[in-house]
Amino acid sequence: MPSEVFLVSDVKRLLQQRAQLVDVLSEDEYEHDHLPGAINIPLKRLDATTAARLDRARPVLVYCNDFG
Amino acid sequence: MIDYRPGKVAWYEENEPREGKAATDETWIGDVADSEVPTCGLKERIGDLRRRTTGWDTCVVVTPERVVLGLLRKKELEGDPNATAEQVMRPGPKTFRPNVTLEELLKSMREHDIQTNSLVTTGDGRLLGVISRADAEATLAHDTAQAAT
Repeated sequence: MPSEVFLVSDVKRLLQQRAQLVDVLSEDEYEHDHLPGAINIPLKRLDATTAARLDRARPVLVYCNDFG
Repeated sequence: MIDYRPGKVAWYEENEPREGKAATDETWIGDVADSEVPTCGLKERIGDLRRRTTGWDTCVVVTPERVVLGLLRKKELEGDPNATAEQVMRPGPKTFRPNVTLEELLKSMREHDIQTNSLVTTGDGRLLGVISRADAEATLAHDTAQAAT
């Protein structure tokens, strides 16, 4: 499994493989817009408790705003 | 954990769908761009394009992958029928990404007094469609009226 992906087609392929999509931006940004099916775990609040929402048996695909 | 490095902006620049308030409360130009705009290749002759461009004042010059190279407006389409698109096109036209809101596009059109079709392309320059000033104004007025009811 790669540690980084760059293409939309890679994202779609991972989602077909039941990857969990995680938006690590703020709640406000997430509420404004996010990728379909993404859950929100803001980076600043990422800890064992918030990460417990994730299924350890499935790949986790995270994204931010852009390359920045 | 896998990082989608380009992030959500790159996703939207491919005109992929979104969820959230931006999906319900905003119109992005990728939602309304007209993908039926005529296109042609560099070597095509203006005379051969006329039937294809009937009813349009725009023809977009593209690569086989639909990457935008130039633009033919009414003046070029009504010009020398033996000229190739490459010879008379306006190279490197201004383009907009599909995740620009209709309001942002109209602001730009008004500031630069753009009355003609604006091109909507993906982040890597592939043509998605065009949107005219008139259609942009009408769609925004319709959206605003709906929001008020």
